[in-house]
Amino acid sequence: MTTSSQGDLPSPVVSPVLRAPQRPLRRLREGWPAYLFVLPSVVLMAYFSYVPAYTAITRAFTDWDGLNVPTFTGLENFQRALTDPVMGQAALNAGIWVVLGLLLAVIPPLLIAELIFNLRGERRQYAWRSLFVVPIVVPSLVLLLMWGTFFRSDGLINTVLSSVGLGAWRHDWLSDPSTALYSLIFLGFPYVDVFFLLLLYSGLQNIGTEVFEAGKIDGATGWRRVLYLDLPLLKPQLGLIVLLSIIGNVQYFISPLVLTSGGPGYATTVPALLMYNTATRNGEYGYAMAIAVLLMLVVIVLTGASRLIGRERS
Amino acid sequence: MKQKKVLLSVSLLGAALLGSANAAPGAWKGTITMYVQEYTPNWPDAAKPLKAFQQIADEYQKANPGIQIKFSTTPIPDNDTNVRVKAAAGELFDVYWAQSSSLNSTLPKGVASDLSPAFAQPNPYIPGNKAWQDVMNKTQVAENRAPNGSVYVLSADNVAFTIFYNKDLFKKAGIAKPPTSWPELLAVSKKLKAAGINPFHQVPSYPWWGNFFVTDFYGKDFARLTRFDGQPGQSGLDEAVAINKGILSPKDPRFMSWWPTFKQLTDTWPRDYLTLDASKNYDAFNQDFVGGKSAMIFEGSYSIRGLQDLGAKFAVGAFNFPTLTKAQSPYATGTYVANSVGGNGSFQYAISTPLANKTMRETGKSAAVLDWMRYFGTPKNVQRIIAENATYVPTWPGVNAPLSASFDSTPFKQQATKPRLELNVGSAAPGLGWTDMQRIFGLYLAGNITIDQAKTQVQTLLDKSANDYARKNKVDFSKYK
Repeated sequence: MTTSSQGDLPSPVVSPVLRAPQRPLRRLREGWPAYLFVLPSVVLMAYFSYVPAYTAITRAFTDWDGLNVPTFTGLENFQRALTDPVMGQAALNAGIWVVLGLLLAVIPPLLIAELIFNLRGERRQYAWRSLFVVPIVVPSLVLLLMWGTFFRSDGLINTVLSSVGLGAWRHDWLSDPSTALYSLIFLGFPYVDVFFLLLLYSGLQNIGTEVFEAGKIDGATGWRRVLYLDLPLLKPQLGLIVLLSIIGNVQYFISPLVLTSGGPGYATTVPALLMYNTATRNGEYGYAMAIAVLLMLVVIVLTGASRLIGRERS
Repeated sequence: MKQKKVLLSVSLLGAALLGSANAAPGAWKGTITMYVQEYTPNWPDAAKPLKAFQQIADEYQKANPGIQIKFSTTPIPDNDTNVRVKAAAGELFDVYWAQSSSLNSTLPKGVASDLSPAFAQPNPYIPGNKAWQDVMNKTQVAENRAPNGSVYVLSADNVAFTIFYNKDLFKKAGIAKPPTSWPELLAVSKKLKAAGINPFHQVPSYPWWGNFFVTDFYGKDFARLTRFDGQPGQSGLDEAVAINKGILSPKDPRFMSWWPTFKQLTDTWPRDYLTLDASKNYDAFNQDFVGGKSAMIFEGSYSIRGLQDLGAKFAVGAFNFPTLTKAQSPYATGTYVANSVGGNGSFQYAISTPLANKTMRETGKSAAVLDWMRYFGTPKNVQRIIAENATYVPTWPGVNAPLSASFDSTPFKQQATKPRLELNVGSAAPGLGWTDMQRIFGLYLAGNITIDQAKTQVQTLLDKSANDYARKNKVDFSKYK
């Protein structure tokens, strides 16, 4: 029973969250059914997510062939990775990919999300949304292989260029070191990542109509509305996209693996592909894991930096 | 530490079992699993399934009740990855196909048993045999030897290489007969190109084409360059020592002098595949040839079956790489090198270790598996297996099997009559053949780097590879003169 110091005023109801903190053991004992339900997920996550990461980190300091017992080699693998000229070229390629990939991750989905959002009528918006979503049922490998044929000397791109009178622009897109990397980065026109599109579209939907109406009164229409209303209010979604794009592009290696094997020369080799080839082709798992750890550190630094920049701007 | 000791004990036990195994399979009963690549009997999708290996297995099973031989008929697109993954799970096949070069370098040690002790013992299934290796090709056994002296594969065939051509496209371009010299090959290529036909449309594989030129130009040094390990044939050690001494290296003018000569040929090819990875584009350029997009393809005898399966609807001819003369290069020695490309084919089989295959820990199983290998590894059975498939050249003395009659096999017959010489770089380190060297080669052929830039890059790669080889295998190059 609680007492009031204010005469006959009713006693306030004390919320459970406002109660004095309990001792951890007691809390654990009282909440055991909840912990029991969570336990299987935690165990599975630990085994399948944390154990591989732990294995990668510990074996990065060893010479390991994937089968026999690893032998400790200290920092040798890291030293090798940091002095390897191929790694230098791969890091440069990855840097270009991350920057251009970031532009592709933000601009086309934002543009399409705005266009759909500004269509009149729910049904039209639904139809256009669906049109962009449907292609995700096609396996991405099919898309890659199809673009591989587009890039051939007798492929679609060169044929189209010739047919519109731009035959001089015909090119050996994937076999020329000066165009191969950009061909891979700009593969997949119109570059609309469906997940990012839906994220931005739902972000626009979450902006209250009263905000738009108030903005309209202040003259925020058309591009001015996008710049001064939509973009600031889409900051959480854009922040997430930037984060996911950086992580995804630093770790990405599928299209160089499938279409160019990192060539011509090392023009399309990225660190993740180097890691993959080192392990699967050369059987040097210890060295591959050192590359993986370096990649992990780069991801941590880049995501940390992007969060910091985002926070400073807000 | 404890795990290390257990694995070591298990491996040693396996090695000891193989080394001391006698002829009889013993009391072990069970199933022996095998993956025999192209010689797989009863392949579900084959138009004309092979039978020989199954018949030999049936005979063995009849003589050894309680032992079953089971062939895997699941396609394996990437054999090295398959070996790695199955070995890591302890579920590797008892007997399996793998390239000796992979077993000697990139695959983990401990996936295959050392067969050399068994090779030194008699094979009881060969009448009067004192040592199994007496019936084998000595050069081939030596070439298969790992840096530590082990031999992991029983090998009995080679791939023969030739240039296949589309007779219809040759006719369309007004070419009456296949070329017989390098200038004629260049002239034919230019004529085809002028007629709007691609002469070749494939990755110009460095190790294949390189073998022709390097073997020819170093022809007079063959004995010297293959003697460093004291065995016939060019092993990884021979190669690494020759690199270290600056012989197989741009420091020797012969080593890369052929690149500009060869570029004259690839300048007539479309650039699509010039800089790409051969292994990744294999199906594509085979399909291009079958689809009539190119008039020629430089391929192995195994592709006879492949081209048929892909449905080539034109007459296919074949001709060999021509012998070079001083007119093409001052370094040409006139050595016959048309058969210098190839190496082990489909008949190269390893036995897994108890580390890579848990079932091999069963008492008596290693001995039984070796007994089965001794049974199918006799000249008589090798003859049956290789002759039925008719796409590989048997290498054991006295074994003779004709290649497919459905294509013009005259070039293959010409090759079979000559001694096989082979010199190049490709075995001492993983990057020397198909990967790093191929990248430099492709960039040069496509015109992206000059020959001098290529030489600098090749030298860096060779130095790195020889040093890696010496470090990993504890080789002291100064020991070799």
